[in-house]
Amino acid sequence: MLARDGRAQSTTIGEELGLSGNLVANRIRAMDAAGQMRVVAVSDFRIHGYRMLARIRLQVSGRAPLDVARELAARDHVLSVHITSGRYPVSCLYAFHNAREMIEAARDVSAGIGGVEDVDVELLNNVYRYIPAVGPLGA
Amino acid sequence: MSITTPEYPATDPLDRDIATMLAEDARLSFRKIAADLGVTEGTVRGRVKRLQAAGLLKLAPIVDIARGRDPGASGQHLMFVTIKCVSGKLEQVRDSLLAMSRVSALYDANAALRLIAVFVLSSLEEAAEATNAVLSLDGIREAETELVLSTIKYNAAVGPIATLEDLATPPVVSDD
Repeated sequence: MLARDGRAQSTTIGEELGLSGNLVANRIRAMDAAGQMRVVAVSDFRIHGYRMLARIRLQVSGRAPLDVARELAARDHVLSVHITSGRYPVSCLYAFHNAREMIEAARDVSAGIGGVEDVDVELLNNVYRYIPAVGPLGA
Repeated sequence: MSITTPEYPATDPLDRDIATMLAEDARLSFRKIAADLGVTEGTVRGRVKRLQAAGLLKLAPIVDIARGRDPGASGQHLMFVTIKCVSGKLEQVRDSLLAMSRVSALYDANAALRLIAVFVLSSLEEAAEATNAVLSLDGIREAETELVLSTIKYNAAVGPIATLEDLATPPVVSDD
């Protein structure tokens, strides 16, 4: 029911499931507190003034990818950072207000983070599907 | 290539402030948001409706990937697949990917020269099956799969979420 309406009232959910509103509210709170489930309000990056979003992937040499990933994660406007199994072990989603910011960020990541051997920048254009159902909430 | 990006709906700082407050607590009352931002509750309600209708704001439960989507599940895996398509085949490949239920997000990148798909998978066997399914598609020149091994940073509140379909059907919702 929350998937249909993330703001559905506990009493409404309870009525439909034959449970008390209090019980539903407690369950939602408990799942949230345990980090199992969170009702999120995810908004498009453009609402926040960003105009461009890029996936930037890094090839790393002579340094642990985890250290590179942590250094990258500390930068402003980096929305997410993952360690992956691919030839680019560090992958991030980076938001920009304009093209100049993107160019400067790519240059800065390449020259300013030790161990970065190669940078692959992919500017996202169109979104064909986005289903917020599962996420690494513990990160 | 016939893919064009529709005009993006105008938003303003009030939309941003509402989205930011909801990002902190998606179930925060509209009354509280209105009081904090100095507008009426009706304005907040109208703005949220409009943003949702435009696909710019989604309110939904997210299950922690370490625990899985279903009760008792041991966890799920994220896999990114980057695909370079044979010239003129991007739309065909895109539609095939959209038919796959495990694809939770799909984007095109670099002037529609690449597709990036995000798969949510229950096991490594499913990852192998998904990889096979992608590589079997007609129109693929090159495909690269990356399993997410760990997540260092994750912003659940901001992302590329407004789909072409959302943008192509502008909402008709008044402010109040």
